[in-house]
Amino acid sequence: MCSVYDTVEFEKLGIPSTTIITSAFKKAADFQFRGKGMQGHPYVVLPHPVSNFQPAQMRELTLQYVDEVASHLKS
Amino acid sequence: MAEGLGFVDPTAGGSAAVIQMAARPADLSGKVVGLLDNTKEQADIILQTVGDALCERFGVERLVIRRKEHYSKPATLEIINEMADQVDVAIAGLGG
Amino acid sequence: MNEQVDEFEFFLEKEWSDGFPVVTPTEERIARMLTGTARDHDDVIGPIPPAMEVATVRSVAVHALMAGCRPEYLPVVIAATELMLRDEFNVNGVQGTMHGVAPMMIVNGPYAADIGIHGGNGCMGPGFRANATVGRAIRLILMNLGAGIPGVSSMTIFGMPSRFTYCLAENMEDHPWESLSVSKGYSGDENVITMAMVESPRFCFDDVSNEPIRLMNGIADTMVAMGSWNMHTRSDMVVAMGPQHAAICANSGMSRADVHSRLCEIAGRKVRDLKNGGNWRRERALAFPIEVDPDNDDFFIPAIKNPEDLQLIVAGGWGPCTAVCHGWSGGSRAVHASYRA
Repeated sequence: MCSVYDTVEFEKLGIPSTTIITSAFKKAADFQFRGKGMQGHPYVVLPHPVSNFQPAQMRELTLQYVDEVASHLKS
Repeated sequence: MAEGLGFVDPTAGGSAAVIQMAARPADLSGKVVGLLDNTKEQADIILQTVGDALCERFGVERLVIRRKEHYSKPATLEIINEMADQVDVAIAGLGG
Repeated sequence: MNEQVDEFEFFLEKEWSDGFPVVTPTEERIARMLTGTARDHDDVIGPIPPAMEVATVRSVAVHALMAGCRPEYLPVVIAATELMLRDEFNVNGVQGTMHGVAPMMIVNGPYAADIGIHGGNGCMGPGFRANATVGRAIRLILMNLGAGIPGVSSMTIFGMPSRFTYCLAENMEDHPWESLSVSKGYSGDENVITMAMVESPRFCFDDVSNEPIRLMNGIADTMVAMGSWNMHTRSDMVVAMGPQHAAICANSGMSRADVHSRLCEIAGRKVRDLKNGGNWRRERALAFPIEVDPDNDDFFIPAIKNPEDLQLIVAGGWGPCTAVCHGWSGGSRAVHASYRA
């Protein structure tokens, strides 16, 4: 699950980064952050699945997580 | 050789060096946010929604949006480096 | 041997166990396995994603041993490990995917026959040590060194039986045409492995057709399932014609290339059908590497977007069946290479 790898690469370059995943991938995300030497790195978990959401529904759900995203990117 | 077992235990162990988290800014006002879309379904809508809301609620100045070749592959270092040159913080999605 | 440790329980309880007992790796057995290669034991093969533990000749030998391989199988296991690490094959992605595809190994050339990799009746099932253990060695490497473990880093919904082992040869005895490797430009006496990231097979039984057109209609139908990823992305597919079906085509004057071409041409569905179920999304169709018109209900979407993606082989025993192995959505491209025995 390569969005985790992308976040790690940004962090290595000094760019604060977080990853947005769906809940089915939580274990994989934990494992991959641990494997890359960033155990416990904060990320945002949306409910699973979202693949069949209509656009308006997707936007409405996403807006509930914006504050959490921001909290991972600032001190 | 696992001690005393009489046989070899080839179980792999995690040996990655610890990477420190990048220092976070105090706030996002005036910052440039990178959004790295991995092409998974809904990633584009989610990232655009988050980006727009960060601008509205947290004073983010600008968004830099890039799309990967495929969700099951890491972004090329080219994309990462290009974004890193322009952004202050980055969000990658959609994991899965 | 420490009497308190049951060696079988020790390994069966490992997180990376495939659920079957392994051959206990002792230094003596490892040394014997390593006689199967002339390579330096510390030679690095490469890191196995996503855990990125480095596979060496020695560690590959240990996994081959645990899988039950004979030393003479080791060159194939080493070559396959190297081959699957090519970027375009995308093992990293398949280790985490929700899909259940597995790296299928098609082994061509004289060495496969020498060591007993079977391509005749039952070749995709149990009963053949080389098939079973070479494929299993790859899986143990993926699970231990790569940590491609369900519940850990693998999100595979079902897995698939082919994730235990997936290795075969073609049935060269009953093959009416050139082998897969020769069709790719290798000489017939080169030892070659082709690997494709595909599902376990679904069968096309046809004991009615006695000419190729009708026969291939049925095979093509098996290739175009709505729920397959082949209809919704560019993806590899393996079509293993049983020798009986291959003979129907060959006896009517068709070459392997003719059959390949015909299947690429006719295997597909119209947009109208694809919209009714399965993974159809307009934006997926627009991402195909071919011209499509997803707004035209009569537009024909082929299952094979690039002729290179159809790995056509002849395998199995005598009987009216062809096996079709669908591909993945993960951007994997089949890979092939010659190897030294």
